[in-house]
Amino acid sequence: MGYKITKKENLSAIDFFMEVEAPHVARSWKPGQFVVLIVDEKGERVPMSVYYAEDGKVGMFIRRHGVTTFKLWYEKNVGDEILSVAGPLGKPIEVKYYGNVVFASDAVCAQAESYATLRAMKAAGNYTIAIQSFENRDNVYPEKFLAKPVADEHYLTTDDGSVGIKGHYLDVLKGLIEKDKVDIVFAGGKLGSLKKLAELTRPYGIPTIVTVRQIMVDGTGMCGSCRILYDGKIKFACRDGPMFDAHKVDWDDVIRRDARFSEQQALARERYLQKLRARGVI
Amino acid sequence: MATKRKLIKERVPTPEVPVEERVKSFVEVNLGYEFASAVKEAERCIQCPPEYAPCIKGCPVHINIPGFIGKLVEYRDEPEKAVKEALRIIWGDNTLPAITGRVCPQEDQCEAPCVMGKVGDPINIGKLERFVADYARKHGIEDELLEEMRPPVCGKGKVAVVGAGPAGLTCAGELAKLGYDVTIFEALHKPGGVLAYGIPEFRLPKEILKKELDKLRKLGVEIRLDHVVGRTVTIGELLEEYDAVFIGTGAGTPKLLNIPGILLGRIYSANEFLTRVNLMKAYEFPEYDTPIAIGKRTIVIGAGNTAMDAARSALRLGSEVTIAYRRGREDMTARIEEIQHAEEEGVKFEFFLQPVEFIGDDDGKVKAVKFERMKPLEERDKRGKRKIVGTGEYVTLPADTVIIAIGLEPNRIIGESAGLKTNPDGTLVVDENLMTSIPGVFAGGDAIRGEATVILAMGDGKRAAKAICDYIAEKRKASA
Repeated sequence: MGYKITKKENLSAIDFFMEVEAPHVARSWKPGQFVVLIVDEKGERVPMSVYYAEDGKVGMFIRRHGVTTFKLWYEKNVGDEILSVAGPLGKPIEVKYYGNVVFASDAVCAQAESYATLRAMKAAGNYTIAIQSFENRDNVYPEKFLAKPVADEHYLTTDDGSVGIKGHYLDVLKGLIEKDKVDIVFAGGKLGSLKKLAELTRPYGIPTIVTVRQIMVDGTGMCGSCRILYDGKIKFACRDGPMFDAHKVDWDDVIRRDARFSEQQALARERYLQKLRARGVI
Repeated sequence: MATKRKLIKERVPTPEVPVEERVKSFVEVNLGYEFASAVKEAERCIQCPPEYAPCIKGCPVHINIPGFIGKLVEYRDEPEKAVKEALRIIWGDNTLPAITGRVCPQEDQCEAPCVMGKVGDPINIGKLERFVADYARKHGIEDELLEEMRPPVCGKGKVAVVGAGPAGLTCAGELAKLGYDVTIFEALHKPGGVLAYGIPEFRLPKEILKKELDKLRKLGVEIRLDHVVGRTVTIGELLEEYDAVFIGTGAGTPKLLNIPGILLGRIYSANEFLTRVNLMKAYEFPEYDTPIAIGKRTIVIGAGNTAMDAARSALRLGSEVTIAYRRGREDMTARIEEIQHAEEEGVKFEFFLQPVEFIGDDDGKVKAVKFERMKPLEERDKRGKRKIVGTGEYVTLPADTVIIAIGLEPNRIIGESAGLKTNPDGTLVVDENLMTSIPGVFAGGDAIRGEATVILAMGDGKRAAKAICDYIAEKRKASA
C-alpha cells in the first residue's frame, strides 16, 4: 500500500510540484490545513503545505533541501508510490468576506498556500491581492503556478530585481497599507520575514494571520515538537495552528526552535548528496 | 490421596541479556522462560480455586490465571498441547498476552495478592503469560487456535474503531470474533498506538506487535492508516456508514512544565523523544531519516514507566542519564522491573527535586536545570503518595538534553470536533456501558481514564465490544 504520484513538474532552481493520490485527504481538506507525508520505509514524517486538494488528489510545492525532498525529486516519479500521506491536519482558516485580502509569500510552502487561500477568499467575494516574493530569476515559478488566476491584483518581487519588482513582499505591502488598501493579511514562508511582517502591520492594527512553520513529528498534537509561545501560552502549531495571529507569536523562540536539528539535517543532506554524486545523478 | 507438595518459595528465574551488552543495543532485555523452566514455575502455583483465586481478582480483565497455569503442568509431557490449552484460556479474556505479559505492572495487579507471595515470591504470572504467547507464536499454535476460532461471516453489523492502540485493537478483535465487520482508523502510518510509538524495542519488540496485528487481520479486521478522525473523517460521517463507533484514541498529548526555558532546544516531551526513537527509528539515523539530537548528559523528569523507557533509550544512544523526581523513591510509579533494569544499566536517580527553570546557552539549547529541593510530609494524597513541599533550597544540575515525562492528557481533537461531552481534564464522559454523550459512540482506555495502563485499556475495549453488540442488537430490534 502507498500513495501514487500522479504529477511531477519542476518549478524553479530549487522547488518542484508534485501531485499524489490521497482521496481521504482530498475529500476533507480546507485552506490552512496541511498534510504529513513519508516518502519510504526509512523516511521521516514531513509536514507539507497544500496547493490544492480535489478529485482525490493533493498537489504540493516542495523545496529540494533535505533528504525527504531529495528522495521525492531524485527517486520518485509519476506512477511510483510514497509510503504515507496523512491529513488533513491543523485548523482551517476562516473563509468569509473580509474586504481586501492580501496573501504574502516568500518561500515554497507559502507560494502553495497563497494560491489555495486566495482561491477560497476570491470565491467568498473578497478582493484578493497576491504578493509573491522570490530571491532571483532562477527561483521564480512558471506563470501557470503563480497565484495570478485567483488574484485580483498580483505582485511578483525578486530580491535582486531580475524579474518583477526589486524588493520583498514587505516593501510592496507597506505601499498598499499606506494607500489604505488592506483589510487583512495572510502570509507564510521565511520566519524572519514573518517577524518583520508582524511589526509592519501591528501599528496599523491590521489582522495578520500567518503560517508558523515548526519542526513536527506526528502532526496531530501528540509530541509537542512544534510548541510555540503564543499570547504567553504554549500552543502546538500542528493542532492549534498552523496559522496564528502574527502579533501574538513569540518570533525569536519560533526562529530558534526551527534550527534545533540543523546539525543532523546537514549531516543527512550531505550523506545523501554524496550517494547521488557516487551514482552520477548530480 | 495426593501427597502434599513442598512449597517452593523462590521463583524460577528468567535469563536476561547482560548489562554491558544490552546498553549498546535495543535488543529485548528479558529472555523469558523455556518450556521446562515455565513448567517448573507453573508447578509452584498452589492452584487456588477460580472463585477464590486472588490473582484473578487482581487482574483488570480477570484472566483465569490458575486455569492457564494448570494446563502447563497438566500437559507437561506434551508441550504443544499444554501451550495451546493455556492460550485458549488466556484468549478467553485477553487477546494480546505477548504484550500484557511484558508491559503490565503485575506486581500491583495479579501478582500482588498471590497466596505464594505470603510465604515467598509470588508466582511469576507475567512471565508465564508471556511464555505461553511467545511459544504459541513461534510454534504455529496461535494460527491453529485462530483457525478454530475463525468467526462465521454473518453480517451482524459494521463498527468503526478509532485508534489502533491497546483499547482499539482489543475492541476490534473481540467484535471480529463475534462476526462483526470492523474497520480501524489510525492517525499514524503504523498501527499499535503507544505499543508502536511509546514502548521501546528492548521492552516490547516490534515483531511481537506485528504478529498481534497479523492476528487481527486474519480475523478480518481492516486497518486504515493515515486517517486522523476528527479531521480526515468526522465521527458524524462514521455514524452514517457504521452501526457504532468505538473511540480508543488514548492520552496522546504530553503535559509540559510551565516554567521558564521550556522552548529551549533539546528539551523533549517523552512522547517526542520516544516517537523519534521507537516509531521513526532515530537510533539508526542517518540510515533512517528521522534525527534525534542528544548530548552527553540527559536529565529525565518523572518516574513512571515512560520516564524509565526514555531514560534507558537515552542511555542506549550514548548519554549519561539521571532521573529527577519530585517525590521519593518509594513513590515512583514505574514497574519494579523497569526501575531495576534502569539502575542496573547505570541510570542515576535524584529524588525530591522539582524543576523550576531550564537554563539555556547562547544557541538556545538547554545547558542546565534548576530545581527546588522538596521534602515529604506525613500527609498523603488521594493516590496514597506522601505530599511534598518546597524547602526554598535550590540546586542546579548540568544537562544538555532534557526529557519531560510527567504524564499525558487526552488529545482534544476528537472530542472537540465531534462535540462529545468531556470532563475538565479532557477525558470523554461515558456511561456505565462506556457510551459517550452521542448514542452509538463508545469510548475506552486513556481517552476516558486520562492515564492508565495497557491492560485497563484492553479491559475497556473488551467491555465496549460487549456493549456495542448489545447496542446494535437493540437498535436492530427497534427498527425491525
